[in-house]
Amino acid sequence: MSQNHTRDESKTTATNEVEDLSLRWFPIGRSDDAAHRHVHHAKLLGRELAVWRADDDYLNVWENRCLHRGVRLSIGHNDGTELKCIYHGWRYASRTAGCTYIPAHPADAPARTICNRTFPAGERYGLMWTTEQGEGSPPEIPALEAGSPFALRSLPFDAPAALIEEHLDQYQSGGEVTVTELGPHNLLLTSDQASIVFFIQPVDSGESVVHSVLTTAPNPQNELVVLHHHARALTALRDRIETVASRLPEPTPLEPALEQIEPTDLDGQTPPSRDEAELRVTVARKWETGEGIKAFELVPLTGQLPTVQPGAHIDVHLPNGLVRQYSLTNRAGEQEHYVIGVKLEPDSRGGSACLHESVREGDVLAISAPRHNFSLRRDALDTILIAGGIGITPLLSMAETLSQGGHPFTLHYFAQSSSHLAFPDRLEELGDACRTHLGLSPEQTGDQLKDILDSYTTSQHVYICGPGPMLDAARDLAEGHRWPESAVHFEYFKNTTEVDKSAEFTISLARSGVTTTVGAGQSILKVLRDQGIAMPSSCEQGACGTCVVGVIKGEPLHQDVYLKPGERASGERIVTCVSRSLSDELILDI
Amino acid sequence: MTTTVEECTDPVALSLWHPVVAVAELNPQEIQTTLLLGYQISYGLRNDGSLGAARQDQPRVELPVRSRYGYLWVCLGEPRGDVFDIPEAEEADRRTLNAASIMVNTSAPRAVENFLDMGHFPFVHGGFLGVEPHTEVVDYEVTIENSEVWARQCLFYQPQAAASASGGQISEYTYRVPHPYCVMLTKSSPTDPSRQDVIGLFIQVMTQERIRAHNFLSVLDEDSSDTVLKRFQQIIFSQDKPILENQYPKLLPLDPRVEVPIRADKSAIAYRRWLSELGLTYSVIPGDQNSTGQATTGQRSL
Amino acid sequence: MIKLYNYDLSVNCYKQRLMMGILGIDYESIPVDFFPGQEHKSEAFKEVNPLGHIPVIVDGDYTLRDAHAILVYLAAKYDPSGCWYPSDDPELIGELSQWMLFAEGTTNTASAARLHDNLGYAFDIDALRSGAHQLFRVLDEHLWFREREGKDWVCSADHPTIADLAIFPDVMLSEEGGISRLPYPAIRRWTERVRRIEGFTIMPGIQEAASLAI
Repeated sequence: MSQNHTRDESKTTATNEVEDLSLRWFPIGRSDDAAHRHVHHAKLLGRELAVWRADDDYLNVWENRCLHRGVRLSIGHNDGTELKCIYHGWRYASRTAGCTYIPAHPADAPARTICNRTFPAGERYGLMWTTEQGEGSPPEIPALEAGSPFALRSLPFDAPAALIEEHLDQYQSGGEVTVTELGPHNLLLTSDQASIVFFIQPVDSGESVVHSVLTTAPNPQNELVVLHHHARALTALRDRIETVASRLPEPTPLEPALEQIEPTDLDGQTPPSRDEAELRVTVARKWETGEGIKAFELVPLTGQLPTVQPGAHIDVHLPNGLVRQYSLTNRAGEQEHYVIGVKLEPDSRGGSACLHESVREGDVLAISAPRHNFSLRRDALDTILIAGGIGITPLLSMAETLSQGGHPFTLHYFAQSSSHLAFPDRLEELGDACRTHLGLSPEQTGDQLKDILDSYTTSQHVYICGPGPMLDAARDLAEGHRWPESAVHFEYFKNTTEVDKSAEFTISLARSGVTTTVGAGQSILKVLRDQGIAMPSSCEQGACGTCVVGVIKGEPLHQDVYLKPGERASGERIVTCVSRSLSDELILDI
Repeated sequence: MTTTVEECTDPVALSLWHPVVAVAELNPQEIQTTLLLGYQISYGLRNDGSLGAARQDQPRVELPVRSRYGYLWVCLGEPRGDVFDIPEAEEADRRTLNAASIMVNTSAPRAVENFLDMGHFPFVHGGFLGVEPHTEVVDYEVTIENSEVWARQCLFYQPQAAASASGGQISEYTYRVPHPYCVMLTKSSPTDPSRQDVIGLFIQVMTQERIRAHNFLSVLDEDSSDTVLKRFQQIIFSQDKPILENQYPKLLPLDPRVEVPIRADKSAIAYRRWLSELGLTYSVIPGDQNSTGQATTGQRSL
Repeated sequence: MIKLYNYDLSVNCYKQRLMMGILGIDYESIPVDFFPGQEHKSEAFKEVNPLGHIPVIVDGDYTLRDAHAILVYLAAKYDPSGCWYPSDDPELIGELSQWMLFAEGTTNTASAARLHDNLGYAFDIDALRSGAHQLFRVLDEHLWFREREGKDWVCSADHPTIADLAIFPDVMLSEEGGISRLPYPAIRRWTERVRRIEGFTIMPGIQEAASLAI
């Protein structure tokens, strides 16, 4: 060989290489390795990664392990917004990696703590990058910033990264070669013919991938020739290095630590969040989506928004001090922003009026994390969604989720007129699955509902959200047509029941052994909070179900509109913000 | 990569009976070898029809052996009692056979847990043991009886529950774990609903991360040929195999904070606890609070 | 009706099931107790195939053995489009034959490693695995450059051929023989494309790919 090898910097040997490297960014593939609806399988410093691109181009870099039973997610299905594990069909949302659906328990919303480990992702110079514990973004290489970077074929080596680094000056690209060390496992090779920046991905102690980027892109008609030329050169180098590596003792594989998971109980209950207004969002967009209906697109001030499941609602803390609940229209896996639809109520006490009139694009609002008390099953043979007016919002999220998953469903949307339909563009995309019923009188609405709920077949489910009288009518019809209670799901806007707060009674808390009195005018919820129990709540008027607790003994006086008749009769659960006790004492499972 | 195998030192695993071969598949006078808990062992059928086994590094020391349910069982230490009983399999009019002995690159407890699991039926055994969208696992009953894990009233919708089944049905299974590395289920027989068919998975623990799974069948089916019965079980097991080989870590973590169980996993939760209480360390990653103080090759930091 | 002497867990039998599924050919499966029964080594089976291996097909009076030969026959006879076995294009058919021989290599390494790991065949496992990795490196590079040319398949045609079907099963089950596909991203993408071919049939251990529908 007549090459002149020079090296500008001597290699520093870190005492704890892995510790040091965990803060660095490394490439984990070419950008086109994360192909459409594909899951790229990568490994960095002994840790396996599942790398996938959502349909909105967001690049996800996750630990390659389903939290349930440790199955590799790289053999799962990328459906465009969610990654589905092939073992039990658990689904995880793009961006947050939060679990959105557990098929074994189709009626339950998965706990918020079921969330895969994610790693920072970046794309630069045609490569995908990540870092185990580092911050910021992939390194900027001046030689590439100044040129027109062109990524060559990445090549796996059965050799440790350090060994490759040592031998890289033997790369035959024609002519004399100069190697400059730019950083750990990152070298610039210059010859008369080309300048190439090499990034060595330490896959494991004895395996690596060499990524190489030309500083100057070739002419498009020459690309293939150039790619072949460098692939041959790198393969020849690999043969040489692997021969050396095969004579060395086999290094012990790295064993990356597994993170411990926040515990959940078996009912999937997340420890409640005490902070009711934990998120800060910016109104990125506000627009009129139907007559008297404004839509708001909310983006996080920092970080990611919590994982959303269809049918979720949030509390919005308004500038005027009021707190109001709004359903999210996001479909499962859609995590970039939250979208709510708000109808201006003529008798608005200041909620909808404030949002319509005062809140502007760019304003910051405090909101709660999403609450999942109106959950969608994805195991029905047929699903009927019935929306009245602004009740469309949770049902739109459900319709789009079902549509995305290829589940059969029909969305019936009752509205005053076509101009009163909210989110018409999104309805359009649902095609024939969306049927609108416009300008009907209460009688006509009843007749129409009768047709829709006419016959029940096994494994059919109906979800209803709309004004109280319409809900009452639909529920009566469903009952009359032998729909089982477990197949009828509903969400009221508000509780119009006159709440009786007169009686005084005792509550005993089974888990702490505390006994206390709920006086006239007080709610169980308030008394529980006074005892220092971090009770979640949202609407505080018996409509949303956030503050439900289990009843072990005693006869509840139900005054909510959340529980189903069977649940009320069983007396096993109580909505603590409005309901009280018929017996002298209630023993609560808390 | 063939690597040197560490021999098991876990006294719990060493005192168990381990299945190593289906007796019907033994050739007389031929000595065969296999791996058990990291030890090379030889076994065979003597001229007088008796069975024998020994460690290759101690060829003159006869190991305790048993022949039960069609398998040769071997113990590498001091056996505690006999091989567990399977009352159903003792009935005279049954067909009892080994559907296949297949090796898998996983740990035994991962395979046991998969056998206990109904939630994966629609996803892994679609068209056979389950089908989407029928994915719900309804509540069932789990108990510990006579130091065994039992799960009863396990109901699941199945399009083709067995080789002899025609059409979908809700099947009811009873699961039983009588041994850390052996699991079985019983279900009413399609040919005589008043009696139970038994399907078992008896695992030969070759090493902590490599097993030979003996698929045991004891059924009342008189019509299906052996080939058909074996075929069905082999298909089902081969559908599970890529799942088992894609689990990380391969050893079963007994620390409840490593993986997320749900209600449907009640039997698996009971199984993991039971293994902890037995003090088993071979093929598992013991949880912190259950540390028995025994050093084994299976301990890894998490 | 065509009869296929079949074992559900055999990759070579799967190649025929795949082809017949894609071409919509009805066939009768004659189960052979390959494991543990070793029925293919029985005297009775040697009447069908003196070499004592499966698959074998019987189409009327015509009997044919050897997985890759059967693929040629099925495609040549039953594919009216001429895509799967493009016999009228000399360059393409040459290429195809080259990759069919490559498939013999993947069968004798990757699939043999699977027999060792699953069923305990007494093979030199290290040699099989390293042999398979050498072939996979060649295949991955080949498929990667195919993608640069806007092509999806092993041969240079715009459509899959029997060469894809001959190689795919050995590759897709390689992990059962301890041969990871992690270093081969282009192979991983190609296996997904094969699993999206219309009429694709699964086998135990091989599932369908995620849908591309948006």
